[in-house]
Amino acid sequence: MGEPAISVQRLTKRYAAVTALNELSLDIPAGVIYGLIGPNGAGKTTLIKSIVGALRPTSGSITVIGHDPLKDRWALRQRIGYMPQENALYDDLTAAQNVRFFGAAHMRGDDLDRAVARALEFVELANRAGARVHTLSGGMRQRVSLACALVHPPDVAILDEPTAGVDPELRRAFWDGFRSLRDQGATVIVSTHQMSEVVECDHVALMRSGSLLLEATPNDLIARAATSVRVWRRDGTTDDHAVDDYRTELPPLLHADAERVELLQEPLEDVLLRLIEESR
Amino acid sequence: MTGRTLAIGARVTRQIRGDRRFAAAMIIIPILLLVFLKVVFDAMSVPDIVQRRYAVLGVSYVIHFVAFLLTALVVVGERVQGTLGRMFINGYRRLEIVGGYLGAYTLFATLQSVLVLVVAHYLFDLHYSIGEMGQIFLVLWLLAILMMSIGILVSNLARNVAQVIPFVPAIVVPALFLSGIVVAVSKLPTWAQVVARITPLYYSTQVYQSLFSEGSIFGDIWAFLLLPALAIVVLGFAAMTLREEL
Repeated sequence: MGEPAISVQRLTKRYAAVTALNELSLDIPAGVIYGLIGPNGAGKTTLIKSIVGALRPTSGSITVIGHDPLKDRWALRQRIGYMPQENALYDDLTAAQNVRFFGAAHMRGDDLDRAVARALEFVELANRAGARVHTLSGGMRQRVSLACALVHPPDVAILDEPTAGVDPELRRAFWDGFRSLRDQGATVIVSTHQMSEVVECDHVALMRSGSLLLEATPNDLIARAATSVRVWRRDGTTDDHAVDDYRTELPPLLHADAERVELLQEPLEDVLLRLIEESR
Repeated sequence: MTGRTLAIGARVTRQIRGDRRFAAAMIIIPILLLVFLKVVFDAMSVPDIVQRRYAVLGVSYVIHFVAFLLTALVVVGERVQGTLGRMFINGYRRLEIVGGYLGAYTLFATLQSVLVLVVAHYLFDLHYSIGEMGQIFLVLWLLAILMMSIGILVSNLARNVAQVIPFVPAIVVPALFLSGIVVAVSKLPTWAQVVARITPLYYSTQVYQSLFSEGSIFGDIWAFLLLPALAIVVLGFAAMTLREEL
C-alpha cells in the first residue's frame, strides 16, 4: 500500500469534561471508500471536523494528502470536498446558485459553469437546477449539498452522514455515486451510523466513545461472523448449534431424527453490534 | 478585492433581492419612523428649523440601528445554519467573507439611505443643497459601514440569533441618549462623556452639528475622519476574530 491519503495519529479532542476522541490512530488508504461506522456519539463528526481543519485537536496529529489541516488549511481546502451533517445550504437560492457559490471558491468563468452542470448531473438534479432549495424535498437537499461538496472536484471527499434520512432508492444512488468517485481516483470518506452500509465500503473503521474498535474490510468482518447450524427434526422442532467449523462439527449433529439442516450466518450488522457490545 | 469576495457579495445581494419582503421592510420601516417623528414634532409644535436638524439626526440613528442589527443577525444566522463553516472549509477566507458581506450590505445601505433621505427631504422640507445632501449621505454611509463592522464583530459573541438581542439595548439604545442627539454631550457627567465617545453615533452627530452650524461636515474634521478610521479598525478586528471553528 502506498502513502495513506489521511493519517491520524493519537488524536484526542476534549470538550471540558467530555472526551470526544481518545488517542485515536488510523490510516486511510488513497483511492478507496472508507467508512467511519459507529453509533451516535462515537466521535465520527469530531474526527471529520478535525480532518477538514475546522476543529483544533487537544493533542495528536493529522496529515491529509501531505498537509496539516490547520497549518496548511488553505492549500488543503482547494483539494478536499466536505459535506456537513446538516445541509448547510442557502434556502432562498436555487440549487444551481448554491453549487455555483461553493464552486466559486475554486474556479470561475466557463470552468465554473461546466463544473456546476457536471455536479448537478452527478446528483441527478439537472432538471431541478433552477428550483429554490426551500422548495426541494429532504432527499433533494441532500443531493444539492453533495453537489456543493463535489463541484471542484476534490481529491478527497469527506461526507458526514450523507445517507442519514435518505430513502433506500436514493441511498443506493448515493453509494453508486461514491463508487464512481472512487473509480475516478478520489478518496471517499463516509461516516454513517447505519451498520448495514459497511458492505458498501472498501474499508471501515468501527468507532465507539471516541475510540477505534477495529479497522477492517467487509470481508474481514464477514470472517468474524458467527456461524450456527439449525437442525430441523421430523416433528417440526429445531435445534441450533454454534459451530466454528461446520465440516467437522456437523456430522455428529445429524441424528436419525434430523430431516434437514440449515447453515446460519450472523448478519454483518449483528457482528458490528456484537463487537461494540463486547467493547463495553 | 478578489473574485471570491465578489462571489460572496453577489450571493448576499442575490439573497437580499430574493427576499423582497425583508428588503421592503428594511426600506419602509425607517421611512415610517420618519413619518412618526414628523407627526410627533408637529403635535409638539417644534419649530421647523429644529425639526430639520432632528430629521437628519433621526435618519442617522435609524440607519445606524438597522445596519448593525441586520449584519449581526445575518452573520449569526449563517453560523447557526452551518453555511459560514462550510464557506471556510470550501476555501473562502476571513477577509473575503467580511469584504463580501460589507460590499453587499453597503450597496443595500446606500439604497436605503438615499431613499430615506429623499423622503426626509420632502417630509421635513430640508432646504439643503445637493452638495449638503451629498455630505449628509457620505456621513450616513460611513456610519452604516462602521455599524456593519460592529455587527460582524458582535456576531462572534453570539451562538444563536436570540443571543444577538441583548446587544441591541447594549449598543444601539445608549447611543440615542449619549451621542448628543437628545442632550449636548458637554452637559453629561464626565464618565458619561467617556462612554459617549465610544458610540459611533457620537461622531456622526458631531459632524452633523458642524454641518448645521458651519455649513460643512468638515468643520469638525477629526470627528469626520474618525468615522472611516474606526470603520477600518473595527472591520480589521472583525475579520481577524471571525470564528472559523464549526
